Amino acid sequence: MLFFNRTLPLIIAFAFGMLGIVIYYVPHSGAQSVEREMALWVRIVFAFSYLLGLYSLLNLHWQRIRQHAAGWGYSLVAIASFSLMMLFVIYNDGKGPFAAQAEAGGYKWLFDNVHVACASTMFSILAFFIASAAYRTFRARTPEAALLLVAAVIVMLGRVPIGREISEFFPAATDWLLNVPNLAAKRGILLGVSLGAIATSLRIIFGIERSYLGGGDE
Amino acid sequence: MIQKLLDIDRRIIFVLVFVAVAVPLLAGMVMPITPTKEVQAAYDEIEKRAAGDVVLVSFSYGASTVPEMQPMARAILRHAFRRELKIVAICLWPEATGLAQEVLEDMAAEFELQYGVDYTFMGYKPGNFSVILNMGQDFHSAFPQDNWGAKADELELTRPLRSLKDFDLVFDLAAGDSIEFWWIPYGQEKFGFPFAAGCTAVMAPDLYPFLDSGQLNGLLGGLAGAAEYETLVNHPGKASKGMSAQSFAHLIIVAFVIIGNTAYFVSRRTRPEQRS
Repeated sequence: MLFFNRTLPLIIAFAFGMLGIVIYYVPHSGAQSVEREMALWVRIVFAFSYLLGLYSLLNLHWQRIRQHAAGWGYSLVAIASFSLMMLFVIYNDGKGPFAAQAEAGGYKWLFDNVHVACASTMFSILAFFIASAAYRTFRARTPEAALLLVAAVIVMLGRVPIGREISEFFPAATDWLLNVPNLAAKRGILLGVSLGAIATSLRIIFGIERSYLGGGDE
Repeated sequence: MIQKLLDIDRRIIFVLVFVAVAVPLLAGMVMPITPTKEVQAAYDEIEKRAAGDVVLVSFSYGASTVPEMQPMARAILRHAFRRELKIVAICLWPEATGLAQEVLEDMAAEFELQYGVDYTFMGYKPGNFSVILNMGQDFHSAFPQDNWGAKADELELTRPLRSLKDFDLVFDLAAGDSIEFWWIPYGQEKFGFPFAAGCTAVMAPDLYPFLDSGQLNGLLGGLAGAAEYETLVNHPGKASKGMSAQSFAHLIIVAFVIIGNTAYFVSRRTRPEQRS
């Protein structure tokens, strides 16, 4: 069992990890066709991960309803909404589930008039909380915080037309902040993240990092 | 007094933000908008294409970012169709399918476009970066059919397209990390096509290193980017109208930050006096 639980996954990770690195840089048609196949496999795995996500979501909400956990009514709404959308997807404006998606119909109507409206509203509510949080917590307690606060105020005014109406300084200073300190910091972060990702990938490929196998240290 | 100001009921803040957003929108207030060089660069990328050139537009956003991203998509597609460019639209986010369809249908009606000749809609494929790799090697393998089931081989526009290299420009409209973690490493770097993008305002600062390195040829950031593009194509729309609301909302937030900090410093000074 140890072979199937540990050794085989490590061999697969090593083989496909090395293959992925090598073929990315080899322009030969043979390598390209291997890469194409691997990309297709990844896409198939992605498609199955949606099924897993769907199962996980429905199971979570179903358990909440069954146990009458706090807020179970919202779980009921989530499952009912999913079922309604699914019903329209299967009906597919009379064409059935195996035909290509219909251009119009109940699903499209629900998506445009319910889902988009609800999702946009949820996101828009952020503006109110940002304003409230800015008032209560955005304080110049330290020199670093003061610097951040001044930069934030300049960028907030520099990115909107009223900032230019107040003074040409705001858009000019915003441009400088984004293209000099921001660019330098982001580039540094990006390089650090990339080096970290490369190091972690190599640790997984060479079997040093094994936490993805699960099962603790035994 | 100062303590009262610091403990202000947050519902007052909510009402003030609501008024700052609602009044300019209801009054139809439009403020003058000056395009930034990043948006101008994205505009120039489309402007320098010849009529008949093929542009791939990737929709990688969902319903929550519609107010920012949808005006951007409209402005870019309007510009492209005005320049008689051909558009191949794809989705890398499942939710984006309905949003892309809406914009494309509106544009098709506005410009009297012929489906399959002037534009095609290939729909959504799962796989994030692997779809991009797949498109680079074999476009028809990645998208064998369009969103309605028509074969890519049979559509006039997609028939000759074999790889990402066959596109004259790629434009990604993103609300996630598709620009820096999917398109640039697995698409632009590997297959070397001109690449421009539009993203939500919070993402834009992350992408400046790619603008500087030349991997990204132009960038539209958030509603401001969309409004600037609308100004460039001389067709003010929802983004331009939204910018006046955003202007006043930002002013309110800045005012709150200043008031909050003033009250905080005054309270810090008065506290020792009260103690003594």
